[in-house]
Amino acid sequence: MSLVSKALSRDARDTLFLLATIAAIVAPHAEHLPLWASAIAALILAWRALLAWTAQPLPGRWVLVLVLLLGAGLTWLTHRTLLGREAGITLLVMLMALKTLELRARRDAFVVFFLGFFLVLTQFLYSQSLLIGLWMLVSVWALLSAVVLAQMPVGQPSLALAGKLALRTTALGLPVMVLMFLLFPRIAPLWGIPAEAVGRTGLSNQMEFGAMAEIANDDSIAMRLKFDGPLPPPQARYFRGPVLGAFDGRTWRPGELAYAGAADLLRVNAPALNYEITLEPLRIRVLPLLEMSPGAAGSTLEVDGLRFTRGPELEWKTERPITQRLRLNAQSHASYRAGHDDNSVALEMARALPPSFNPRTLEWAAQFRRQARFAQLDEESMGPVLANAVLDYIRTNDFTYTLSPGRYGETSLHVIDEFWFDRRLGFCEHFAAAFVVVMRALDVPARVVTGFQGVDAQPQDGYWVVRNSNAHAWAEYWTPTLGWVRADPTAAVAPERVLQGQALRAPAGALAGALNQFDPALWPQMRAGWETLNNRWQQLVLNYSRQDQFNLLKSLGFEQPDWLALGRVGAAVIAALALVGGAWAWWSARPHDAWTRQRGQILRTLKRWGVPATDTQAPRRWAELVRARHGAAGEAAAALLMALEQSRYSAAAAKPRWRERRRWLGAFRAAGRMLR
Amino acid sequence: MKFPRRLQAWWDRRHPRRDTHLMGQNNIYILPSRPGLAFCITLLILLLGTINDQLSLGYALTFLLAGAGLASMHNTHGNLRGLSLDLKPPAAVFAGDEVALELRLHNSGRARYGIGVHVLGGNDADIAWTDVPAQGHASLHLRYPATARGHHALPTLQIVTRFPLGLFRAWSVWRPAAAVWIYPKPERPCPPFASLHGDGDGDDGEPPAASAQRMPLPAAGQDFDGVRTYRRGDSMRRVLWKKAALSLAQGTPLWVRDSQAPPATALWLDWRDAAPLAAEARLSRLTAWVLAAEQAQTPFGLRLPSFECPPALGAAPLESALQALAGQPR
Repeated sequence: MSLVSKALSRDARDTLFLLATIAAIVAPHAEHLPLWASAIAALILAWRALLAWTAQPLPGRWVLVLVLLLGAGLTWLTHRTLLGREAGITLLVMLMALKTLELRARRDAFVVFFLGFFLVLTQFLYSQSLLIGLWMLVSVWALLSAVVLAQMPVGQPSLALAGKLALRTTALGLPVMVLMFLLFPRIAPLWGIPAEAVGRTGLSNQMEFGAMAEIANDDSIAMRLKFDGPLPPPQARYFRGPVLGAFDGRTWRPGELAYAGAADLLRVNAPALNYEITLEPLRIRVLPLLEMSPGAAGSTLEVDGLRFTRGPELEWKTERPITQRLRLNAQSHASYRAGHDDNSVALEMARALPPSFNPRTLEWAAQFRRQARFAQLDEESMGPVLANAVLDYIRTNDFTYTLSPGRYGETSLHVIDEFWFDRRLGFCEHFAAAFVVVMRALDVPARVVTGFQGVDAQPQDGYWVVRNSNAHAWAEYWTPTLGWVRADPTAAVAPERVLQGQALRAPAGALAGALNQFDPALWPQMRAGWETLNNRWQQLVLNYSRQDQFNLLKSLGFEQPDWLALGRVGAAVIAALALVGGAWAWWSARPHDAWTRQRGQILRTLKRWGVPATDTQAPRRWAELVRARHGAAGEAAAALLMALEQSRYSAAAAKPRWRERRRWLGAFRAAGRMLR
Repeated sequence: MKFPRRLQAWWDRRHPRRDTHLMGQNNIYILPSRPGLAFCITLLILLLGTINDQLSLGYALTFLLAGAGLASMHNTHGNLRGLSLDLKPPAAVFAGDEVALELRLHNSGRARYGIGVHVLGGNDADIAWTDVPAQGHASLHLRYPATARGHHALPTLQIVTRFPLGLFRAWSVWRPAAAVWIYPKPERPCPPFASLHGDGDGDDGEPPAASAQRMPLPAAGQDFDGVRTYRRGDSMRRVLWKKAALSLAQGTPLWVRDSQAPPATALWLDWRDAAPLAAEARLSRLTAWVLAAEQAQTPFGLRLPSFECPPALGAAPLESALQALAGQPR
């Protein structure tokens, strides 16, 4: 207790507050920082706090240089560069922690202040959730409070006071923030490429087997669809994303189809189904269209300034992640044939497996293939028969579909072996990857396809909703006549995932369990409320795009909203604010009582007439001065001044109305005209 | 900073000397401080990062900070606006000491924090800081070195604030109308008096009497013939301390011994007595003598090339003697 009651000096208290702020800013980064970086940062902050608490001197410069070199060296070892995005963030955290060890002057507080903002911004590369938004507000508030404290040199102002003052300044700035947020033109990246969505179920160009112990059930909306006809059956609700054909034993990547002829040939048979798709800014690099959209490999599509290219494996790719909401009309054909008949190189690559990985699976596949029922297979029936046999195997053995299978590959390099024989827990990507490996081991060309699968059970306002939790992975295998054929091993183990298009619910946590004991309806309600809130956040803030800006302009009455209109609105707002500000300044600077204003007018008039009157004299004295200067000509003005004296100082004096004052001033000035 | 003369005249017209200084729209200046410029660059980098990575929340952060920065500009300006200052008449000091100013700040609005005042041209470390409570007053003590003797107008004061965020520096310039007497620096240690003249002796143009004529200083207050109430300038030694407790308890003035009879010999402090010295050194020596005579409660007269006052003792003669010394033309 004695430690708590110890009175801290102002310096120590401010330092501890700043350290707590820094810790709060760095904390969310711990999730993606290398472990050593989090540890070093925590150690340094704790050490600095101890120094502040015990009022000891700061360490010398050589300690800082040593730790900095250590940090840079470890960063290099971890990321193999010092310049990349992640290496940069690691270094930024190191710098921030080290800076606290040399907080001496006020300038240093500002350095922490600026570094803090960069750290807040970089966190958005990983998450822009509602919670992170709140965290941003609190971080900024704490940083501003620290700065306010630094600007209060007298006495020992309380933290609450500094916080209140910082809050006042921030609150005053809020209207500016909202206006700028609404009106600042959302332009395409100036250079460089935005980061893709990280750590979401969002589709990316690679898939690391078993790297995710658990996937978040992200129920935010990925896209909305409106069909020109009936909704396709559940088995056909596949939205094609990146196709992953190369496997190195751990990670799936797009296959390297090196030469032009390798591109899949597409022939569509059934009539087209037209539909409209609205894609949220998912920060993915593909346009997931319903299989199979027409268009030859290499053809392009322009949507809203973004250029999509048909990849060799029939997915639509773009150079940079999609960061605005897109709306387009597309077609899909339920019946199609994809793939060249004679593409032996591509097929060879679709059979390739990394050597000396997963020996047990290879052994198992060889045994499986030796079964008598497969003895008579020709090349044509081999694919479908083997695929169905493997799907059957998955269906009849104790494979379990779960969203939290745990991490694979922590004890062994042979991740597929681990999945296929030991653990048998996984979600779509595990099943799809293992299926493809087994098919390849059986000498059937196969590849992984990622994308979305399924839609919500009920449409919203006529739109069918696809959510991020509908992200999916499935497989394709090759047959000579049908080309690439889709096979979904997840459907074998969890048919409801595919038929109803719904991912399994994550198991209820401890809190949910406790709440269920109390009131079974409470937890779902809270969950629904939170989801609604998150959805609003997604819609209103995160997905606010150029289209929304133009819609705003439309509602303001612009027929054809464009950049120019946006600029006009911005200029009008700035001009209006400047006018209001100017008017306020004029109003507050002007004397507030009528007599002071009137006296000012009279004195200015008298000065024009050459009468040396001052504001310390009474009207009677001004009248004398007018008579002295102008004699009889000034008699009228002098009489008016005497009348003013009467009305101001006589026993019956009443406060004159505005109209009377105006009339008097008019008469006074008219009297002055005779003087010239 | 050297202004061209016309600019200087315009500057002086803009800032007439006044006894009180009310800060408003027309005499507060504001510019971004160095951290403010760094803040702008930070915002720019944040905005570029946001655009390049298309981060909606990044826009929110950047604009939140921009809004707060803009609001802080108004807050910084408002921290001075409406505040008025005046100062107590400054006490005279000796050259080489420091002039102590006591400023009072009157606030008719909300609480002000981090208001600093310093002499224009001084360095930042010398800023005296204060807070002013809402609808209240604060006083602030400011010191600056008194360099040259004379009757000097107070130096131009600068009122400065960076509150709340330090991104802007608002300041206002006040040229106080008051003036302060700076007496010559007294010579230390005090040299012995050169001579003692009889009354009116000094006029005859004879060289000052030799040191043989020097007499021991008359012991002040020896010829005691009454008491009177305390007047400003009376020596502490003459206070009747035995009666003091009673007087203080009753709230009446203190009693002091009154020696009506002038001492038999008066001390004449003469410009010529400090002869071999340079003019400023002479003034220093005369100042030291004046102080020594006051200390010893010896009535003294002062004779300067353009000034003479008859032997007397007390606060007023002392003041006029010192002012005469300070005001000697150079």
